[in-house]
Amino acid sequence: MNASVLYPFCAVVGQEDLKLALILNVINPAIGGVLIRGEKGTAKSTAVRALAGLLPSVKVFEGCSYNCDPEGRAWLCWHCLKGLGKLKVVERPVPFVNLPLNVTEDRLAGSIDFSMALKTGEKHFRPGLLARAHRGILYVDEVNLLDDHIVDLILSASASSWNVVEREGISFAHPSKFILIGTMNPEEGELRPQFLDRFGLCVDMKALEDLDYRVLLMERRSAYEASPAEFAKRFKKEELKLVARILKSRELIKQGVRVSTEIRRLISSLTAAAGTAGHRADLVIEQTAKALAAFDGRLEVEVGDVKKAAAYALPHRKRSYESSEGSSKADSSDRRDSSGRKDSRDSGHKQGSGRSIHSEAQRRTADKSPSSGERDGDAESGRKAAHRSIEKESGDKIFEIGAVFKVRRLTFRRDRIFRRGSGRRIRTRTVQRRGRYVKSSTLRGTRDIALDASLRAAAPHQRHRIIPEGMAVVIKPEDLREKVREKLVGSLLIFLVDASGSMGARGRMVATKGAVMSLLLDAYQRRDKVAVISFRKDGAVINLPPTTSVVLAAKLLKNMPVGGRTPLSAGLAKAQLLLQGYLAKEPTIRPILFLVTDGRCNVSLWGKPPVDEAVELIRRMANDKRVRFVVIDTEAPGIVSFGMARKLASAAGAQYFKVEHLRSDDLIKIVRESVQ
Amino acid sequence: MRKPLIYPFVAIVGQEEMKLALILNVINPSIGGVLIRGEKGTAKSTAVRALAEILPEIEVVKGCPFQLHPEEVGEVCEGCDRNECKNKVLDGSCVETERRRIQVVELPVGSTEDRVVGTIDIERALREGQKRIEPGLLASAHRGILYVDEVNLLDDHVVDVLLDSAAMGVNIIEREGISFSHPARFVLVGTMNPEEGELRPQLLDRFGLCVTVEGVKSIDDRVKVMERRATFDENPEEFCRKWEDETEKLVEKIKQAVGLYPRVSVDRELLYYIASRCVDVGVDGHRGDITVLKTAKTIAAFEERTKVTNGDVDKAVRMALPHRLRRQPFQDIAMNVSNI
Repeated sequence: MNASVLYPFCAVVGQEDLKLALILNVINPAIGGVLIRGEKGTAKSTAVRALAGLLPSVKVFEGCSYNCDPEGRAWLCWHCLKGLGKLKVVERPVPFVNLPLNVTEDRLAGSIDFSMALKTGEKHFRPGLLARAHRGILYVDEVNLLDDHIVDLILSASASSWNVVEREGISFAHPSKFILIGTMNPEEGELRPQFLDRFGLCVDMKALEDLDYRVLLMERRSAYEASPAEFAKRFKKEELKLVARILKSRELIKQGVRVSTEIRRLISSLTAAAGTAGHRADLVIEQTAKALAAFDGRLEVEVGDVKKAAAYALPHRKRSYESSEGSSKADSSDRRDSSGRKDSRDSGHKQGSGRSIHSEAQRRTADKSPSSGERDGDAESGRKAAHRSIEKESGDKIFEIGAVFKVRRLTFRRDRIFRRGSGRRIRTRTVQRRGRYVKSSTLRGTRDIALDASLRAAAPHQRHRIIPEGMAVVIKPEDLREKVREKLVGSLLIFLVDASGSMGARGRMVATKGAVMSLLLDAYQRRDKVAVISFRKDGAVINLPPTTSVVLAAKLLKNMPVGGRTPLSAGLAKAQLLLQGYLAKEPTIRPILFLVTDGRCNVSLWGKPPVDEAVELIRRMANDKRVRFVVIDTEAPGIVSFGMARKLASAAGAQYFKVEHLRSDDLIKIVRESVQ
Repeated sequence: MRKPLIYPFVAIVGQEEMKLALILNVINPSIGGVLIRGEKGTAKSTAVRALAEILPEIEVVKGCPFQLHPEEVGEVCEGCDRNECKNKVLDGSCVETERRRIQVVELPVGSTEDRVVGTIDIERALREGQKRIEPGLLASAHRGILYVDEVNLLDDHVVDVLLDSAAMGVNIIEREGISFSHPARFVLVGTMNPEEGELRPQLLDRFGLCVTVEGVKSIDDRVKVMERRATFDENPEEFCRKWEDETEKLVEKIKQAVGLYPRVSVDRELLYYIASRCVDVGVDGHRGDITVLKTAKTIAAFEERTKVTNGDVDKAVRMALPHRLRRQPFQDIAMNVSNI
């Protein structure tokens, strides 16, 4: 490859939040990484790649493939141990590992060194990407599209700073301490809360609105493309200055930046107000504030540092139940509502220190004010208020959860069908080279060779075979074994619940809640993912992004307010967004959408008649054959019946049930049929 | 066996925007590819395949499966099994090179990840203790054009891989702890029929330009389409000969434009104009701005000017922005940006 010159870090126009967050992590790695959420094309990758070019180098023993620290002798790899005292210490650029999306488990965590095994007959561990990222940066572009079992590996390594491998006859552990930098585009799907929490800071990126900036950006970009080397030279001085400042800040951190008790108190009051889960937020804020102080050349953390740090550390940590709307606010699907766009942008610009500090106060005022006059962006906080103080609001009612019927245990036989895909509901064999390696078998033609098993199969025959020079083992075609991989193929159950005023009539909501609850419980036992979307008044809200926690869903269901008009098409559109994102991540999952409504919609999304619009929308949604639809009609039986829900069901080719006919037996049938 | 003749690019009736978009990408690959959306039978595939005939020449190592430039040889060659040039490279002596046209590599819809990325032959490695790479389509497409017909029907994980390498310019093959990487910089050209499903926004954004083609409306032109096609089918050789001059002219014009492009300048005012257009229509991120700028400059170069005009920008906006606007689900991609 041509010696490509990276786009200089200092030349990235605007995006000060991101740049600062990255710098802080370099100054103080204890912060624990950055998650960059943002629109497409906002210099996310450019900035991170540029950062790697900026970093000062690390010291290692020559030839070490684990980046062992010559100064910290807590753990040294076999190579360094043997050569201790003899090996030269060399400088290496800070390790920067870019994790490809199609990475395999063995490649990430490491596996048997097979050429070594063949040539010497010895079992050696071959380090993977986690070893290479030690003391450096692990960069995961599109982190939300990674396979779940890969995410688990990264999580456990980043949590313990160790990579422990117990697979394929290897038992090995080595340190793996890295700054985790992930980028994601929320449009493409969500990230598990657990993984979210692992990122120290979170930066939401938006395109610059300022014309001057945009022009400057274009000018720089074309100058860079015309002559990268010359362009880089222009920024050399600035870059060197920045590096010097970073190094000095690191020194200060090492000396110890003081945090007074008052400051600590401020931090915990902030995290308590934001309702974060666990204590990681407190620690992250403290470390970030320290880095900020050091970057400013101070040895004492000030209030301003804490405020700034909180703005970075809190947005993705608010307790997911209460802030499920908050997180979906960051979700650009909401930003897409064109009328609300301006609002969210404005607040985005002010996202600095003010927002999270005053958010509690804002919420309180929102609690007091009736939300009737609020629209779009403001309605977000209005809804949030609605969750907290529902009783106060006029017109909104909360109904009890009706009788929950017990769902008999369903067993899904593990079949022998090789599926492509992943998920949670059924365990399946997979033909893709992804998934967990569970056992080996003789050749079937997937060419997914299981090295350990092949060696084992060849071992007894070795003494009868002529071993060529340079090899320790002879493997013949009949020794070859293949990997059998397993994955979970599962379902996502999306509950699209009508929470409009009409649902409150004659206790329909009680029965409905009972039905949804029963389904939720069943889903929990199946370890399916569930998501809840409700629509009422002027829009739809993702109350619960796909999760396996039935506790959250139950709480949410219990507190779900009812009242207002019926924006069915907005609900469908929201569901579609969720589906698209989820299907992009897990293409072979077969989601089931439960539409719980009486079908009497009266608010349209694009100005067409509401009913026509909803029918059209659901018809088009049903074109995606991967999604199954179940319509649960909650219309009260009576003389005046509109039969709208039935109309919707037929448009979608969906199964149709009246809520009172939804017995446990029926329920089992729906779930079973939908899955098969 | 002789290669079947391809319908000449210049003989395609109408579809000016599509043709322009393709030519612009040939002149300036950094625009980032084209997505061609349209109904069946609108000369989408014909145009892309015909492109092969008007592409400029590049210098490559002779017979190299990775289409390497003589200066790129080195690391990649270690995993290659072509011993003739591998040994030369490792010795440090000169490798044979040749000049040939840029290739159009077609990625069929049913392609597996293996076929696209390439694989490491583990079976052989186990038996012989040697690592052997089987290059995939991405290797063939390096420095060329990767054409994905029905890009919206491609397997999602293949799309992910494609995106990954398009973004990084490098393709990484990994298996059983062996990894191998080779450069893969290509112009992505995709065609799709929107009736069969939309593309993920992420992939959409990766295409520099997006043009929508429709069947030719005017009766005269439709007649012309039929006539030309009939003549071509009757005697392809003669038909191609008839258009040879025209093709030659276009090739020459493209060559000129490539030389002219670095000298094209843009007034600051126009940059403001571009930025404000992008803000007005509401595009995500900044890729739109940059692409409009590049496209406008390339248009100017193609029209043998060294100054970008308002008209160039307007033309560029029409091609570079429609797929970048924020949309509601199921809302169609805007056909005409200026209406917004």
